[in-house]
Amino acid sequence: MGLIQRAIEARGVPTVSVTVARDVTEVIKVPRAVFLPWPMGHHFGAPFHRDLQRRVVLAALGLLETSNEPGTIFDLPIKWADVRREAKTLTEQGRKL
Amino acid sequence: MIRKESYVGQARLAKPLTECRLTLVSSCGVHLKTEKPLDVCHPFGDFRFMRVPSGAKHEELIIHQLKYPHDDADLDINVIFPIERLQELSQEGQLGELTANFFSFIGYNMDPEKFERTLAAGIAEAVVEEEQADCALLAPA
Repeated sequence: MGLIQRAIEARGVPTVSVTVARDVTEVIKVPRAVFLPWPMGHHFGAPFHRDLQRRVVLAALGLLETSNEPGTIFDLPIKWADVRREAKTLTEQGRKL
Repeated sequence: MIRKESYVGQARLAKPLTECRLTLVSSCGVHLKTEKPLDVCHPFGDFRFMRVPSGAKHEELIIHQLKYPHDDADLDINVIFPIERLQELSQEGQLGELTANFFSFIGYNMDPEKFERTLAAGIAEAVVEEEQADCALLAPA
């Protein structure tokens, strides 16, 4: 994915990625990224947690406007334990929908 | 080979986000239920990509990918492919508009040189030429 990000940016279009693997993102040297210490497959949070999904998207889009340094990785320090706690009820409600 | 110093220079937004056309690229392997999935079993990976209409809803989409847990994304696609959140931001005017199509492929391709030459170049070209995006959000699964 980092190679795609680099290819798009090299064609003059600003890009931002959302990553849960900081080490991989550092090696591949993407132009800018938001890092979340969350499990694979959950880059935007938990099911039906609209506010959180939106927060991650907005943090990433914000970086498009603010980052000046290639390779900027912005940490969004939201603990997965907190996400799970908040998401439990939402997922149970969602399953019933 | 990407070396210590080999950053790509940052491109700049030419206008505010409220006027920008945004695209979304993901390796989550999502596609329309009506389309044939990519080859998830090929030992070297499938180097093709798919287009996902940006107006699609959760119910119209399905994930075909074996390499990451997508139980939660099956309940709500926005966990890995925030298509409905982007639709909302666009409707609210926080984003100018969305490209007609978003992009999806399956990761874990075992030939990085071929990946860069085919898949990366193909998606980048489609993002810039076909969709004329002003900016791109990427979500590796």
